[in-house]
Amino acid sequence: MAEHYSSFERGGRRWLLQRLTAVFLIGVLAFHFLLLHFANHAADITFAGTQARMSQVGYFATMWLFLVTATFHGVNGVYNALVNQGIAGTQKTAVKWVLVVAGLLLVAQGTRVALAMNGFL
Amino acid sequence: MSQSYNRGTVEDFGRWREFSAGMWAWIFHKFTGWVLVGYLFTHIAVLSTSLGSAQLYTSTLQGLEALLVVRFLEVGLLAVAVFHILNGVRLLMVDLGVGLEAQDKSFYASMVLTGAITVASIPTFLGGPLA
Amino acid sequence: MSTQIEQQESETEEQTEEQTVESPGERRRAQKREREAERQAQRETEEATLDDEETVLLKVFRYDPEVEGKQEPRFDDFRVPFHKGMTVLDALIYARDEYDSSLTFRHSCRQAVCGSDALFVNGSQMLGCKTQLADLESPVRIEPLPHQEVVKDLVVDMEHFYDQMHAVEPYFDADETPEDSLEEQRQSRENREKVKMSTRCIWCGACMSSCNIAAGDNEYLGPAAINKAYRFAMDEREGADRKQERLRIIEQEHGVWRCQTQFSCTEVCPKDIPLTEHIQELKREAVKNNLKFW
Repeated sequence: MAEHYSSFERGGRRWLLQRLTAVFLIGVLAFHFLLLHFANHAADITFAGTQARMSQVGYFATMWLFLVTATFHGVNGVYNALVNQGIAGTQKTAVKWVLVVAGLLLVAQGTRVALAMNGFL
Repeated sequence: MSQSYNRGTVEDFGRWREFSAGMWAWIFHKFTGWVLVGYLFTHIAVLSTSLGSAQLYTSTLQGLEALLVVRFLEVGLLAVAVFHILNGVRLLMVDLGVGLEAQDKSFYASMVLTGAITVASIPTFLGGPLA
Repeated sequence: MSTQIEQQESETEEQTEEQTVESPGERRRAQKREREAERQAQRETEEATLDDEETVLLKVFRYDPEVEGKQEPRFDDFRVPFHKGMTVLDALIYARDEYDSSLTFRHSCRQAVCGSDALFVNGSQMLGCKTQLADLESPVRIEPLPHQEVVKDLVVDMEHFYDQMHAVEPYFDADETPEDSLEEQRQSRENREKVKMSTRCIWCGACMSSCNIAAGDNEYLGPAAINKAYRFAMDEREGADRKQERLRIIEQEHGVWRCQTQFSCTEVCPKDIPLTEHIQELKREAVKNNLKFW
């Protein structure tokens, strides 16, 4: 059982995750836009308003999931676009790790922001 | 990819008239993707003012919203996001094996819908107090 | 003309003097010579009035690294007389035979089964022998396939294409053969229908040359190779183990996952193979296959 059984070669798992995150994002992004531009007007943003929304657990969780899935979908998309263009070898490994780190940093920063918005931090 | 003579690849934008629907879809999806990723990082950066103070957050965001150019950028962002979503739905259909015969028509449909939704949203975006 | 007929008559007269009966064979051959002479005279008069006839202008890509004047690529103009049903290949052959015998291009069967004459005509990949000149806008611009090294004029280096094809093991290789060596390995009608379209590939290379990913990523297997893999992976006679091995080859990073469903391959395939659809099916197969191993 020491071997990793999954025979997903590089690409198969990320391909599927890209589609799954896509489905989730269609719904959440549309919701985000409608809520923040149509239901509420962007010109009237105040910290108080933001805090009120983010204090609701369900909304907070949705926003955090939004952050993680969007980061994965976007960073994976960029990585694939570059592979299609033909990067290879050391350059490819370097770019891959830069993207991974950038993605992790974004999620970390976004989590801090979310916690500040709901009053926890 | 070595070429003994560079005749321009099929992607050469000089030959844009010869591009098929599927190729345009791929180009636009990539382009809107890059824009959205760029926006994501910028967005989190702007929202990071909430880590400063409530006043900093409120004044930064309202200050940005007061600029007319930002309003227009928001309309552009909507267009980009709507296209990426609609073409993304088209790609999901293709991945599921549905509607492959009409793949080019569904691309044109997503372009038209994007235009329609964007135009319809302009009043809402440009409304509200400006500086 | 009249002199010839007279000669003929005098000849037969002479013959009848020597032989009482002229054999039917000889008469036929004499008539055949007459007809050939007529036709030759007609052709000459036609060509003399070339300007009055309908012609087509070809702009053909020329390049030859070994000839001084042609080391810089250029386009040569050829004005070719048009006849009903003329194909791009016919026009190129005419240009080569009548105007410039150094014009170089591959062709063989001229009936869309050998895959030799895939060209880039008016911005699209197509087979020269299958494309009617009447369907094309003038001037007809003929170039070698894009994304491949040009060897000379319209001839491109196909080695990379063949390498990708060979990488998917494009041959029938069943897990088990029947015990009785004379027994057939049967395939159901449904299974045959399923793989039927994918068997039509003639290795022309049009699809790979139209794919932007194949252009950018040198390691991408390409639509033709993946279609070949499909043809065998979906063939029930091969067995489950072989199918697993085949899937493993195309599941790699530069296999099916690089396809971005641009559909250009499907559009240019001269044998109407639904390439994108086959690649998509293989992606779904790969995902389903791997989900079993959680």
